[in-house]
Amino acid sequence: MANHSQLNFQDASSPIMEELMGFHDHALMVALAICSLVLYLLTTTLTGKLSSNTVDAQVIELVWTILPAMVLVMLALPSLRILYMMDEINEPDLTLKAIGHQWYWSYEYTDLKDLTFDSYMIPTTDLPMGHFRLLEVDHRVVVPVNSTIRVIVTADDVLHSWAVPTLGVKTDAVPGRLNQTSFLTPRPGVFYGQCSEICGANHSFMPIVVESTPLPNFEGWSTSMSS
Amino acid sequence: MRGLLARRMKFHLLGAFVVSMGSALLYKFGVAEPRKRAYEDFYRNYDPMKDFEAMKAAGVLESAPPK
Repeated sequence: MANHSQLNFQDASSPIMEELMGFHDHALMVALAICSLVLYLLTTTLTGKLSSNTVDAQVIELVWTILPAMVLVMLALPSLRILYMMDEINEPDLTLKAIGHQWYWSYEYTDLKDLTFDSYMIPTTDLPMGHFRLLEVDHRVVVPVNSTIRVIVTADDVLHSWAVPTLGVKTDAVPGRLNQTSFLTPRPGVFYGQCSEICGANHSFMPIVVESTPLPNFEGWSTSMSS
Repeated sequence: MRGLLARRMKFHLLGAFVVSMGSALLYKFGVAEPRKRAYEDFYRNYDPMKDFEAMKAAGVLESAPPK
């Protein structure tokens, strides 16, 4: 989850999120280079150190058309690389369905004995000491660690969005439509997210909690939930 | 004063290029590369089972309550 006054991304818990963080660093570097260039030229112009009496300059026009085009290509290529990486056919080990309702999520693990459950936020009045306000749920989405998980996201009523920032996942839940996303986490742990599409009065109060555990533990959990 | 504009323009255009490349390189070697190294170092000797046992003992996992 995010810390107080956090500005940057949460630490990555999946390879795709690590790639996205690397791309963000790259894009920010390009933006920093351009902004510092403009700031320097603006300062020199405003302090009278740089001026021009040129009215017709074909060479510089060519330069400041070609150079920005090259910068855009430098941004587009890594971006497309990650986009295609996210869409790779990756033979998921587990498929689960996340359905958005007003105002809770429900999950269906139909690979395993028709396991279905609802996931409501724990109200602050019922929250045990040390737990995270507006982020904890009564039933977490448990997944096995180091396994490719496919999530089919849809909604029952209005638009929602299933997002877990640390896993690099955000997928819109559209009524009447199935959207697919996948993730893999090499770490056991608890990962928090929140509904990311305005869906009514309690849009801020339908969080998502993904818990990844080793496979034997996951199997034990799914057996206990099914019974 | 002869060729002042040309001289100044050459100097400042070069200066602008140096400033922009310098700030990009500063970010790259001050932020981006240390971040990549931090992730490499974290995963080099990472033991997921050890991490899992620590989380289980701390009681943070719903699917693995502490005994």
